[in-house]
Amino acid sequence: MSEDGTLFDEEFLKKLEYLEIISNNMVPGHLHGEHRAKKKTDSGIEFADYRQYVAGEDTKNVDWRTYLRLDKLILRIFEEEADLPIYIFFDSSKSMDYGHPLKFDYARKIAAALCYVGLLNLDRVNLIGYAEGITQEMSSRSGKNQVWHAFRFLESAKADGNTSIEQAFKSFFSVRRRRGLVVLVSDFLDEIGFERALDLLKHFRQDLFAVHIYSSEELRPDLSDEVLLKDSELGTTELVKVTPGLLDAYANKFEEHCDQLDSYCRKNGWGYVRASTDVPFEDLIVQVFRQGRFVR
Amino acid sequence: MNFMYMTPLFAGLFLAGAATIVGLLYWLKPPPRQLTIPSSLLWKRLLKEKRRSTLLDRLRWWLSLIIALAISLLMASAMGRPEFLWNGGDIFRMTIVIDNSTTMATRSADGFTRWDHALALGKELLKQGSVDGEFLILDTSGQLSSRNPTDRRSALGLLDKLTVSLGSSSRFPDYASTDGLLYFISDGVMIDEVPDNAQVISVYSSVDNVGITAFKVAPDPSDPLAYQAFLEIANASLESKEISMRLSGAGESVFSDTLTLQAGELEGRTIDLSGFARGPIRLTVATESDAFTLDDKAFSFLPTRNLTQVTLVSPGSAYLQNALPDRQNLMINSMIPEEFDNDVKADLYIFDRWAPQDPPMGPALLFLPPNVEWLSPMEAVVTSPSISYWDQGHVLMNFVSLKDLRIDQAVRFYSEAVDFNIKTNPEDHTDDSGAISSIHKSEIIIGTPELPLMVASEDPHKMIRVAFSLEDSNFPLQPGFPIFLNNVLSWMIDDQHALPGSLGRIEVPVTEGEVTDLEGEEISSSQFFGNTVFMANEPGLYTVTLGSQRIRVAVNLTDYKRTTVNTSSFSPEDRAVVSPEIFSLNREEASSGELWFVFIWIATLMVIIEWFTYHRRWTV
Repeated sequence: MSEDGTLFDEEFLKKLEYLEIISNNMVPGHLHGEHRAKKKTDSGIEFADYRQYVAGEDTKNVDWRTYLRLDKLILRIFEEEADLPIYIFFDSSKSMDYGHPLKFDYARKIAAALCYVGLLNLDRVNLIGYAEGITQEMSSRSGKNQVWHAFRFLESAKADGNTSIEQAFKSFFSVRRRRGLVVLVSDFLDEIGFERALDLLKHFRQDLFAVHIYSSEELRPDLSDEVLLKDSELGTTELVKVTPGLLDAYANKFEEHCDQLDSYCRKNGWGYVRASTDVPFEDLIVQVFRQGRFVR
Repeated sequence: MNFMYMTPLFAGLFLAGAATIVGLLYWLKPPPRQLTIPSSLLWKRLLKEKRRSTLLDRLRWWLSLIIALAISLLMASAMGRPEFLWNGGDIFRMTIVIDNSTTMATRSADGFTRWDHALALGKELLKQGSVDGEFLILDTSGQLSSRNPTDRRSALGLLDKLTVSLGSSSRFPDYASTDGLLYFISDGVMIDEVPDNAQVISVYSSVDNVGITAFKVAPDPSDPLAYQAFLEIANASLESKEISMRLSGAGESVFSDTLTLQAGELEGRTIDLSGFARGPIRLTVATESDAFTLDDKAFSFLPTRNLTQVTLVSPGSAYLQNALPDRQNLMINSMIPEEFDNDVKADLYIFDRWAPQDPPMGPALLFLPPNVEWLSPMEAVVTSPSISYWDQGHVLMNFVSLKDLRIDQAVRFYSEAVDFNIKTNPEDHTDDSGAISSIHKSEIIIGTPELPLMVASEDPHKMIRVAFSLEDSNFPLQPGFPIFLNNVLSWMIDDQHALPGSLGRIEVPVTEGEVTDLEGEEISSSQFFGNTVFMANEPGLYTVTLGSQRIRVAVNLTDYKRTTVNTSSFSPEDRAVVSPEIFSLNREEASSGELWFVFIWIATLMVIIEWFTYHRRWTV
């Protein structure tokens, strides 16, 4: 949080304007919602065209009448649904209340920036804070005039409770939601792991862009001798005899954790980006843009 | 392995203590610092994997502890001067006889006494010996009576206990065994006969010394009222010496003189003490660079020079008239009872088988007095009474034995003496304040309360009443009779000569006496078979007091042989003598079994290893 106590201060807003220009330069006039309305896919509402079936493709859109008539497998092509929603989940568990700057502040800035870009490009944006479940939620909004509402919502969010991404997804997607893009801003320090939670997204046929936040203190903790490590969420303690070898092993373990998340996302065709809180958030957003997931 | 400065028990306790401290430091660690982290998820996964190597971690911890223990034990052991046992089975035996006669207190030119040198050489000898050898320490004055060999550490302790013997005679101790090495460390002054198998280590070096070899205060044979001091001064130096002599007495009385004596010359003098008052007499001699100071002063006591008038009233007693004149300062006025005039004053009255009607004006000794008013009456005549008791601790009985006393006839008289009852029922004889009442001033010297044969009292004058006559007993024929008369005279006129004494242990026939020196400082004493015993470590006039009884002891080192500290029988040219210089050389060439420096080196190496492994995080 800034010195005057406001998370989204003047400087932050200037950076958002910069991001707006960047996003327009990268994909001029074609934000996610507008652009995909022209896209022809195998799923959609309106018929658009035919094309030759390729072996291995889903046969649900095969035009069987044409097959009977011409003895050829022809697929029907539909226009994609327009204006799919963006669900921005930001981690508000206790573990986010750590680091300099706080991971939670950093996550909220990321969420705010992505929300800003989404609203600016007429997407419908949901903001969801979660810990063991949904803790705060801003219902679906669209239009640039909703930006300040979103900022106030994020500013009022608090970091507390344990992490359970699975519970949050179960809770959120238990009601029927439109297929969209789930942006998950988190440190992914979930006791039961992230796999089951992300599998839920597959189940609900949601697209995912994972933003992995960590602080430099987490990667290279300043520990020496014997120390009792207390889990900020669970309150449990672990007695650790710190050695340089152990610190190296911990760093490797952290990298391994990040790599697992990255490879899991890649395997499912999802976007993944990770950043230390030392990196300016706008740089991270640009990195997100470059991955081509959030904007095309 | 053995420890030079620790007993096995102490070494064990010391090492256990050191190990315990290190162990406690390892176990009693401060609580670890607590740190809050976002999540312990990754740490738990990591530690779960690491637990596979818990055994290795424990080994590291134990390695660290073992290194620390090794360091502490090595350093603790080094403090005890550890030694290895070099020889394989042969027992090394060494006997050291150390001369602790008086002349060993002579100070050498280097400022140390011959005794200091002897002790240092003795310890060096012990260090040369095998760690597991047997050692026997003996001395020439009998301070160490044990003939059992001991280990080296105990032998070192025995050497530390030994002191120069000031008074007792010195001789080479009986030593029958010829097994092992026999060393004799001496200055060769007091001991000159040494076994052939003994290797003599001489600590002799020539020094200057003058001393008093004789000092005595005695009456002038030609004048019973005059006293003389007889003294003898010797120059034991190897060159002539100018000697200052000073004789000082009570008050301002001083006699001083200077005399020059050639090397080895002896001079005796007789000095008239007419100008000296009654009291202690001190003789001192001084010269340049005197190495032996114990013989530079001597003490005595000048008794009263008044002529004691004794009135002897007897119908005729050859025993008394023959015994009394031996005391030269007595003026005896003998008379028969009819001639006695109670108005004629005397210092002492002796009534033999007679007593005046009125009490005499001074102390009195009465043998079998008849019934008179001022004496308790006679009750019966007892024939051949047995002597069942006499007070050996009383001053009247000093050096007097009554074992062979036979009495044909005595009388029983009522005695107020309750000496026996005091011991059994003291509350009956104390006044309201708890003090013993005046009746206790009567004491039974010989006899029992039922039959007192000699009673002494002090109220109003000292009086001794004897219940038998000399003619009815063999008392005058006893060797102790003149001594008894002498004791009576000394007690009654309260004057004594000083008893002669030598340096060292002094035993005085007084029970529970209090000992003071010339300055009035109390000297610690003990009791030995009813006698008072104290140690006189330097010449002086000591006083033993018990109530009104006072015994003076003049302790002097007036011995020509002790003064001649340069008459050593062990000359450095004698081949049988091992000179200290050669001995020191041998000491350097001797192989040492000490390991303390090895231990320190190993401990230092271990510290480096510990430092290295810690900083490499091998042991954490």
